[in-house]
Amino acid sequence: MKPILKLALAATMMTPFAAYAQTPVEVTVWHMEQPPHRVARVQELIDAFNAANPGIVVKQEPQNWGEIYAKAPAALAAGQGPDMLFAIPDFAPILKGIGALTSVKDFVTELDAKHDFVDSAVEAYSYDDGIWAVPLYNMTMNLWYRKSVLDKAGVKVPTTWEEWSAAAKTLSADGVSGMGVPANKQLYTDQTVYSVMTNGGATEIYDADGKLRFDNPETVASYEFYKDLLQYSPADSTSWTWGEAEACFSSRACAMVMQFSVMSTYDTQAEGDAADLGVAAIPSKDGKEHNTIAYANAVMMLSKDAAKMEASKKFVSFLLEPANYGRFLNMEPGLFMPVTADGAKAESFWADPMVQKYKSQIETVVENGKNGRLFGFTSGRTFPSIAAISGQNIIAETLQTIVVSGKPAAEAVAAGQARMQEVSK
Amino acid sequence: MQQTRALALVLVAPALLFLAAILGWPLVQAVILSLQDVRVIGGPADYLGWDNYQRVLSSGAFWDSTRLSVIWVIGNALLQTVLALAVALVLNEKFPGVRIARSWIILTWIVPTVVVVIIWRWLLSTSGGMINPLLVQAGIVERPVGFFSTPWTAFATLIFINSWRWFPFIALMMLAGLNRIPDDLYEAARIDGANSWQRFKRITWPLLAPTLGVLAVIGTLLSFNVFDIIWLLTSGGPAGGTRTLPVLIYETAFKGYRLSEAATMSVLATLMLMAFAIVATRTLDRSDRQ
Repeated sequence: MKPILKLALAATMMTPFAAYAQTPVEVTVWHMEQPPHRVARVQELIDAFNAANPGIVVKQEPQNWGEIYAKAPAALAAGQGPDMLFAIPDFAPILKGIGALTSVKDFVTELDAKHDFVDSAVEAYSYDDGIWAVPLYNMTMNLWYRKSVLDKAGVKVPTTWEEWSAAAKTLSADGVSGMGVPANKQLYTDQTVYSVMTNGGATEIYDADGKLRFDNPETVASYEFYKDLLQYSPADSTSWTWGEAEACFSSRACAMVMQFSVMSTYDTQAEGDAADLGVAAIPSKDGKEHNTIAYANAVMMLSKDAAKMEASKKFVSFLLEPANYGRFLNMEPGLFMPVTADGAKAESFWADPMVQKYKSQIETVVENGKNGRLFGFTSGRTFPSIAAISGQNIIAETLQTIVVSGKPAAEAVAAGQARMQEVSK
Repeated sequence: MQQTRALALVLVAPALLFLAAILGWPLVQAVILSLQDVRVIGGPADYLGWDNYQRVLSSGAFWDSTRLSVIWVIGNALLQTVLALAVALVLNEKFPGVRIARSWIILTWIVPTVVVVIIWRWLLSTSGGMINPLLVQAGIVERPVGFFSTPWTAFATLIFINSWRWFPFIALMMLAGLNRIPDDLYEAARIDGANSWQRFKRITWPLLAPTLGVLAVIGTLLSFNVFDIIWLLTSGGPAGGTRTLPVLIYETAFKGYRLSEAATMSVLATLMLMAFAIVATRTLDRSDRQ
């Protein structure tokens, strides 16, 4: 055989190996930020990351919160799961329970040294000697209103329950509902009821030893107060999810609503007057400390493959870099708040036109978030049974027992605790 | 004769094998799952025996949901039959535009469920919905009504929406049945002096009955299994007032993380539906022979 032919043959034989050596590490991220503009923003960041890291290809596959609790365990059991999966605190114990999670304690410690995480965001994922997800962003519940509406009615921004109820009553006039609050058996209602509970001294659902303490006088009082507020809410509040509350506020059918953020709909579907949009902390029973529900969203690292795990870590590090982090949070300006100290100051966060426009509101939301709580994840104690309690929306179910079935609050709360015990078995 | 039977078996074998693969195997898996204590997909599985069946059959929630499912099926059957029969009788007449009407009537049926849900959710909303202002302006109600705010109004509203979606399909089936009735019979009845009601009672109804029987069986099986509209509109609420059996099964499996218990309910529901289908088809066979 002629040398040139031998060389050609050798080159041909080596091609597959060469191609294999250059095959980039492919990692998939599942997130539940489905609106097209959020998907587009995540894609922009992925494109930038992929361009800067030729050996890695990140792909996103948007999912749905309604399905992910069932889909993720099934996909992982079938070996078809993602390498990274966004999470809220009560989702992580489910995947940990089936052995799908690897502790990322060292990685979080490393990131913490660099960016300084908000402690409560890390605590929500810290238990059983591990940290099971990397915090990415925070969401906190707030009280939203129009300053002009309150001024016209001669109502001050409420800070106590008494003032809140009185304001809702005064503002309920001319077909307007004074206070829009949900009573659906759904996550949004869990969130708003807990926001009231945590402002009425009923923050802890568990004792230090993991025993349920949902049935207590503070919880009962919180439900009674919520029922009182509900009389000033639209008649279909029992079927509300987040969208209906925002629509009610945007259309001026509700004077006040409890919501993570209304900025986007207010800006695009209502008058968009930043000077008139008011946001305040959720009123507390006595007007002293104002708490709120806070969701530290995070990303779980699922890959068992070392190269993919390394690539996933690189991508998460990239997202948390201040230059990129603001752009990531502003996939929905005003909704996702930073969980790192340098992220809270990042130029990339504050430079967004929407954030600029609603700067004072966002500053208030960030401030309110400092007193963030999440049921089942308070005081540094986390009990995995909270996943089933949250999954079945028992906090919201208890409310429906009171406002739909007409049970007294004390009986409903006792029944709620019994249900929590039943589903925790 | 034996050769013909063998040939028939050979010819239907591929279809039977296909059905066994896509229906039989999952059903066997569901039965196996119902005898274990799996909580989430991929979780550990210990053998429990009949414990799940005992637990489910003694649970109030299971029987409440079964009762709601039966009411759901009957409510839908009644409303859909009335709407579909009325429309089918109109479309069976000859008038200008009848061909277009026959095509357009199917529109609500072909609209995807999610779109149906969004349309009705916003039509019935108290904030910006169209129905409530109309009811208030017409003086029918004083203030906006929460259609999904009480168990019975939510259930009735769901039956209405589901029937609105499905009745065109039933109407077309009925129309096909009406087309099979010979015109001569009506002609002869007219000559004998029968009025419209008598023609309907003596000709249309008896000759349409076999079609209605088949539709009742298919409709019951389809209605019983409806999950999407209920879940998307009320998620089984308020206060469990619309939690039919499919909703309870989904909640148990994917909200309560009790996969085996949900599989037990599924097996029981399948047995109930199979028993109904066998009794109903035998009854139809018998009435056909008569």
